[in-house]
Amino acid sequence: MAVSPSASSGTAAPGRLAGRAAFVAGGLLLAAYPWAAPNAYLRYAGVLVVLYAALSTAWNLVGGFTGYISLGHAAFFGLGAYATGILVVRTGLPHALALVLAVAGVTAFAAAVGVAAVRVRGSSFVIVSIALVSMTNLVAQNARWLTGGSSGLRVPPLVEGLSRTANHVVFFYLFLALLGLVLATWWAVDRSRFGAGLKAIREDEDKAESLGVPTTAYKVVAYAASAAFVAAAGGLYGIWFGSLDPIFVFSIVIGANMVLMALLGGMRFLLGPLLGAFLVAPASEYFLLAYGESQLHIVLSGALLAVVVLFLPDGIIPALRATWRRRGPRAASIQERSAAELAAAREEVPA
Amino acid sequence: MSGTLLAQGLVLGILTGGLYALLASGLTLYFGVMKVVMVAHPAFLFLAAYATYALHTATGIDPLLTTVVTVPTFFALGVAVQRLLVARLAPESLATMSVLLTFALALLIEGGLGVVATGSYRSVTVDYASQALRLGSVALPADRLIAFGVAAVTLGGLFVVLRLTRFGRALRATISHATAARLVGIDTDRVTAIGFGIGLATAALGGAVLSLISPFFPAAHWAWIGRLMAVIVVGGLGSVQGAAVAALLLGVLEALLQVTWGATPAALLFYAFLFATLLVRPQGLFGGRLAQRF
Amino acid sequence: MGGGARRVALVLAGVLLVAGCAGTPEDPTAAGDGGGQAGGTAEPVAGGAGGDGGGASGDPIRIGISLPLSGDFSEPGVGVQQGYEVWAESVNRAGGLLGRPVELLFRDDASDPNRVVSDYESLITQEEVDLVFGPFSTRLVIPAAEVAESYDMLFVEPAGAAPEVFEQGFEYLFYAAPAVANDHYNYLADWILALPEDQRPQTAAYAAMDDPFAQGTAYGLKDRLEAGGIETVVDEVYPPDTTDFSAIGARVAAADADIVVGGTQFEDAVGLVRSFQELGYQPRLAAFSTGPTLPEFDEAVSGATEGILSPVGYAVGAEIEGNAEFAALHEELHGTPPTEDAANGYTVGQVVAAAVEAVGCAEQGEECQRALADHIRANEFQTVVGPLSFDEAGRPQSAHLIQQWQGGEVQIVLPEDSDAVTAEVQFPKAEW
Repeated sequence: MAVSPSASSGTAAPGRLAGRAAFVAGGLLLAAYPWAAPNAYLRYAGVLVVLYAALSTAWNLVGGFTGYISLGHAAFFGLGAYATGILVVRTGLPHALALVLAVAGVTAFAAAVGVAAVRVRGSSFVIVSIALVSMTNLVAQNARWLTGGSSGLRVPPLVEGLSRTANHVVFFYLFLALLGLVLATWWAVDRSRFGAGLKAIREDEDKAESLGVPTTAYKVVAYAASAAFVAAAGGLYGIWFGSLDPIFVFSIVIGANMVLMALLGGMRFLLGPLLGAFLVAPASEYFLLAYGESQLHIVLSGALLAVVVLFLPDGIIPALRATWRRRGPRAASIQERSAAELAAAREEVPA
Repeated sequence: MSGTLLAQGLVLGILTGGLYALLASGLTLYFGVMKVVMVAHPAFLFLAAYATYALHTATGIDPLLTTVVTVPTFFALGVAVQRLLVARLAPESLATMSVLLTFALALLIEGGLGVVATGSYRSVTVDYASQALRLGSVALPADRLIAFGVAAVTLGGLFVVLRLTRFGRALRATISHATAARLVGIDTDRVTAIGFGIGLATAALGGAVLSLISPFFPAAHWAWIGRLMAVIVVGGLGSVQGAAVAALLLGVLEALLQVTWGATPAALLFYAFLFATLLVRPQGLFGGRLAQRF
Repeated sequence: MGGGARRVALVLAGVLLVAGCAGTPEDPTAAGDGGGQAGGTAEPVAGGAGGDGGGASGDPIRIGISLPLSGDFSEPGVGVQQGYEVWAESVNRAGGLLGRPVELLFRDDASDPNRVVSDYESLITQEEVDLVFGPFSTRLVIPAAEVAESYDMLFVEPAGAAPEVFEQGFEYLFYAAPAVANDHYNYLADWILALPEDQRPQTAAYAAMDDPFAQGTAYGLKDRLEAGGIETVVDEVYPPDTTDFSAIGARVAAADADIVVGGTQFEDAVGLVRSFQELGYQPRLAAFSTGPTLPEFDEAVSGATEGILSPVGYAVGAEIEGNAEFAALHEELHGTPPTEDAANGYTVGQVVAAAVEAVGCAEQGEECQRALADHIRANEFQTVVGPLSFDEAGRPQSAHLIQQWQGGEVQIVLPEDSDAVTAEVQFPKAEW
């Protein structure tokens, strides 16, 4: 089995330069968005999109590198939100400090859960992740003395007296900064030895282990790092949204959205989840606005996920690249083929 | 805590455990034949409950008799789902992609039911469902007895098919080693499709029983996903007997916890067992050596 | 190779441009014509830019509403929607509000607070609706009310009855039903405690869903009964997604209390009743919130309704001004008699309509909306649930009636001195 560490970085230098320029330009355009958005709703929707981009990219730290699909990252989102909110409300800590402590706590918890969770692979891991959300939801709902239970928890705003729209702008930039941080982390891991080890796990875990990759430790670290960023996003969300309710933050749908976005964009790519978030979040807002009077929007979300899984399992980035390549003579680049593709190619050859 | 209450809890637990076993048996089959975790199974249960409701209200026939129509329909549906959807997934990423695909199916069913039947509660009521048999001071509710009976007959039938028929042998061979099964001449594609069909056929039965027991609405399936998943993991993925034993065990413990302590600890019980199983015995009570690999 | 960067930049700029066009132009003088769905072009409104006044065929008054039409709360959500629709139809048949027709914009929030907030943000700032009505469920009311509050929008709502709704300092929020959750059973508590010593129940069992509204109703009664010396023998709380009530029922049944109280919504009320029936538990008095007030209840429990008590904010047959018209129009539009949820929706409309007619405006902006809120706070309103007035925090100041199923029909039994009463309390209740 050919393991190709950091195959995605194999483009020529001028291409990389262009890529970086595009990256900076894209970042600048994004930063200009709150000022271009014509009304508060679009500013609000912008915050949601960037929030989802950050969540999905953070999810991809474990999903993309190791191939372990967690449908339950909403557990860390909710824990981050509640831990931050509880620290602010019950101990009166400043928001920033509460957020940092909450992230540290959730990371430790995720590492502990990770030790149990990564013992199993494939669908068992997915089941565990689903169970984690249901469990955290039940506990948060039941610990009324701490979380307020079903009455919810009201988190005081970051800046008293700031108008709603200004608050959206502030949090747009906070989430954007978090997104930048997650992207940088993914990028750094992608070209590190650690990243190569994670990818080896994805391609063939048993082989990776026999080659001396400390698979359990690697998986737990990736899992905890991913949870840390998701918890940070959750904490920011709690302060921004101001109102938490267990059944809504510990929601399987939030977890499923992270997966859908990463999958749609392309789990093997730095910008895949971001692209997915930029497509799915506005699309689902649009479905709701256009078909909000019936339950057709649930059908449409389901159909979108089914189409992606069936026809675009590697995401749209490789699909776009393929069209790009076909359109003109391009410099030869190292072709990235997934293990699945290789195996499929092998199956076609009659034994 | 009185002895009567404990006895009542025990009886209810056994009866409910039987229902869990029926509802989880389909999940076990999908996993057995294809290593697929079918998240949409509970959604199909409620689709079946709605079908039962529609047939019952339109024709007035007994809800349990509607299974004459729903079971073959769901069998065909299961074969179609396997052939047209699940079989298209790349085998290497099947384990995870199938979860997402069936998650999408669950959304489609929920949304579709919502569009067609609105979000209102529906319930199927028959006179006998609220009766109860009494053994001393312990009551055996009729709807639970029916559920337990249907579960016992279905699981017994499944067991006979798996153990005693040619098809059953082919199915078991496919479950334990698909490649080897193919080498000895078993048409594993056909066996897998039929396995899926049988799985969904149990959903038709489960849905009919469920419709007798409690009111339902399109989004009701979410509450079942985690619980049924816990049952099949504790039992050992892919093991029909394991799932049945785990279902009874968890059903009894849940009921005993409910009567002695409260509903929330009882709900947490499933997840506690799930995690404990993974830590102590990842292959589950009856799972094969490699269950945790999928 | 710089072309790649430019292309990406162009695409992004294009996306932003499209997003920009999708919204309405920033034109504070445009009187509410939001141009329909996203992407619709904003046509200049010829001549009709002046807000109030206008002829009978003026611009419609557009009202934005988010409701759970799917998901966990969709059952009552749809009921409220029907009530709103009946209200709009009746207003339009009678010549509109301020001479302008009313138009309702519904959004499904899928029982999700992110959606609720999305919905109200977009209704207020993008569709630029003139008024908003509240959503359903206490759990969604608070996040929604925060949005309305920060845009200075009047927020009359049909469902947020739990105490914490009124503890947030909202200035624009009013709950358009007779009483908050914890007061729902007040008349029943009065009646039980007034029973002669030898008839008075001694023990009570409570089972409540972990939901601020459902639990609030049961605990309101519990507090009153405990203070009156009736002993609590079971106090059971179950998670909202509980599906199996047999064991919970067994625990309650084993205590064999004189009174059983369910802080229930619907399927849990059905589950508990069926479980008690199967276990042979026969309390002398049984009260359940919400479930028994819904039309599906009778069928769901196979008619085992006899003697069940419930607090109800609305009675179909009550001789209240306008009620007969409301019930008839509901029957005409939806084919069924109105539910309590529908009545609450209709009541929201009635309160807001009265305020709009009195103040003479229906448009965004602090001046008009605050005038509407001040008017509501200071006055009493004649509605289909009876006369309503509100305290500073928006709490309604009336009380819920108590209904009882008798002979397959719903009868209003308490308070005894009310005109709405149609029968006497049947006590002890018949066996189920």
